[in-house]
Amino acid sequence: MITREKVDAYIQKIPPAPQALQQTVLYLKKEELTKAAHSAKKDLALSAYLVELVNKPIFGFRNKVEDISQIFGILGVERSQQAVYNYMISLLSPVKWQLFALNRSSFYDLQAELSIKWQIILEHLNIADKDIQNAITLLPASIIVSEALFCEKLDDVKLLRSVNEIDLNTILTRLCNLDLFDICQIIAAKWNMSEKSAQIIQASSGVKPSEDEEINRLGKYMHLLLFFTLSKPEYINAGLNDFIDFQIEYVQDVYNDFAKLMEIS
Amino acid sequence: MRAVVKNGIGVFHPQGFLDGNSSTALLSIDDINATLKANADIILVSLKKVIFFNRNGLDTFIKMFNKVRSANHIIVGFCDYDTKKYQAIQKFYKDELTFSLFKTQEIANLFSNGYKNQEKNVLLYSDDKSQRTAIAIELHDNGHNPIVTQSQEEFLEKVKNKDAYDVIVDESYLGQMGQQVATRVTGNAIIYTLSSFLDAEIGNTFNIAYHNNSLNVGFRLFIFDAYKVVSMNVHALNFFSKLASAAAEYNATICFVGMTFEKTPMTFKETLEDAGIMFFEQMNDILENKELLEELGASSAAGAKNKRPLNKVIVSELANFVDATVATIEMMTNAQAIKEAANVDKIKIENPENKIASSIGFYGDIDGMVMLVFPIDIAKKSCELLIGESTDDLELILDTLAELVNIVGGKIKTLLSDENVHVDITLPRTYRNVQGLLEIAGDKKGVQVDLSFDNDKFLFFLTR
Repeated sequence: MITREKVDAYIQKIPPAPQALQQTVLYLKKEELTKAAHSAKKDLALSAYLVELVNKPIFGFRNKVEDISQIFGILGVERSQQAVYNYMISLLSPVKWQLFALNRSSFYDLQAELSIKWQIILEHLNIADKDIQNAITLLPASIIVSEALFCEKLDDVKLLRSVNEIDLNTILTRLCNLDLFDICQIIAAKWNMSEKSAQIIQASSGVKPSEDEEINRLGKYMHLLLFFTLSKPEYINAGLNDFIDFQIEYVQDVYNDFAKLMEIS
Repeated sequence: MRAVVKNGIGVFHPQGFLDGNSSTALLSIDDINATLKANADIILVSLKKVIFFNRNGLDTFIKMFNKVRSANHIIVGFCDYDTKKYQAIQKFYKDELTFSLFKTQEIANLFSNGYKNQEKNVLLYSDDKSQRTAIAIELHDNGHNPIVTQSQEEFLEKVKNKDAYDVIVDESYLGQMGQQVATRVTGNAIIYTLSSFLDAEIGNTFNIAYHNNSLNVGFRLFIFDAYKVVSMNVHALNFFSKLASAAAEYNATICFVGMTFEKTPMTFKETLEDAGIMFFEQMNDILENKELLEELGASSAAGAKNKRPLNKVIVSELANFVDATVATIEMMTNAQAIKEAANVDKIKIENPENKIASSIGFYGDIDGMVMLVFPIDIAKKSCELLIGESTDDLELILDTLAELVNIVGGKIKTLLSDENVHVDITLPRTYRNVQGLLEIAGDKKGVQVDLSFDNDKFLFFLTR
């Protein structure tokens, strides 16, 4: 059993963001892109991350974009903020993944895919709320935390899975009384993200619907997006597809809209 | 991915979106083999948590299924779907549905060896007549009580009284249970499908044993559907030339349909034509030309040159053959059969007028052929269940009879396999009169069993 204290301790251990990074976040919140870019440039690791991220094929730029001001300009305030959040999360990323067959690059891909598609959904739904836009960054974060927690009990996890087809989220709940989405909520609090972000994430579990209709609807889209992304071979091979239980009935009423948006045919 | 194995059924549970890429990542042939080791005789993929699939996604699974099915004689397919998904699969595969579909796992249970003789009352409907029968017979075989509804209206009416049945079977489909080589049979022609590049590999992929047995049973027209063939090399040319020469000994005809010679030398066509192979542009050029079909498919006495004596092994399995036949016909006619006489001799048919016949070959550990001769009235009665109504259309009766004999063949296969005798069956062929049958079997010695159903005489003949 992994105690709640241990989980908290792990999340507490997340190193405080370096000053340059903190400033970048602050300026982005104030929507001051030039100042944010100036701060970001001081953090070489953040700069390198942003360059790598924005030049991923999913962004579709023909020529390599290297200037941070230009990158923030291209991304706009919301997506820049998300990118910086993603960077903060990637700081936690283990050097060597043990349970999930991921690496630095495939994890970044996962972050990028979720962020970009979430943006498409929100634009379609005419939602410009930054908190809602940033909520998606919590999912990859919780995958990192889960990996760390599972690693503490790696043998137990493997044994449990060898005798029974049991999803990792259930094992996680049994090990530490928290599921993937609870962990998201704790991280959201740690990162001073809004309550709304945490609520959407909880709704996106598919088993904890919200009473707020809008949050619930967004939770459905997020649940679908998560499975749409985790159905890609690289994440199936990484062992992420069966991390949580897909709640097909929960998402039924938004599926056609989602399929159209993602051009699924 | 690991399957959950229960009651001899191994079920894989993928979730999310299935396309060609994700399916390959989800399931491997090793996963299926591991499930087989856990004593599963049915292997299924549940579509319950799959929100989207396309044909490529399903094809990946089906390719893997096909690899293990014939080697292990298991049922493979999909389960846990709704009407929309069922219709999508039907649309994707149309006539090529080689795997099984079970609407729920509860339905799949009924066909599992681990769930026999539970005497479940099963209400059954399928809009496909032959499926209705095949499912009913399998259910009956597994010790359940199928209640077959012949129309959707009847089904919907009966389904109102849900509590009267233990299980309701609809939107389900039984695919091939074992190995099947030819894609389909029409009239008395066998159609094989060829595709892509024909090279030396054709010698391995083409089931020559099946083909030879089909010749032996009396099939005389073999059509190669070659629409999807890109080119042919000299090894394949030799193969087909030899096949044509062998067929000539039986007076059989081999046709190629839809073959283009854009990437194959025209001289190959001439060589094949010299060997006796005929070329047609369209399948309908043959199939819709009844005169030609009859001429090409007409049997001849040439089969007699391949006379082989009955042997002890076959005779010792006689009881199984007769049981399989009697059980099937009893179920179809709802009448009890009485065995009147059994003789070892050449086939002897009294009052040959108004009788039709059908035969099916088997090969493997033992080989031979079963022939059934029906008075047209009993044939009609037996076929009523399959057709759903009484008919005087001889073509329809013959087609239905072929289906019935196919079921008998499948049953024989199962009964023999219980005794560790493994055989495969050819497609059934039919004879619109006794004369046609005698041309094939007239000189052969065999075991003749005379049976009667409600005073209707019926003849069973086992020979080689």
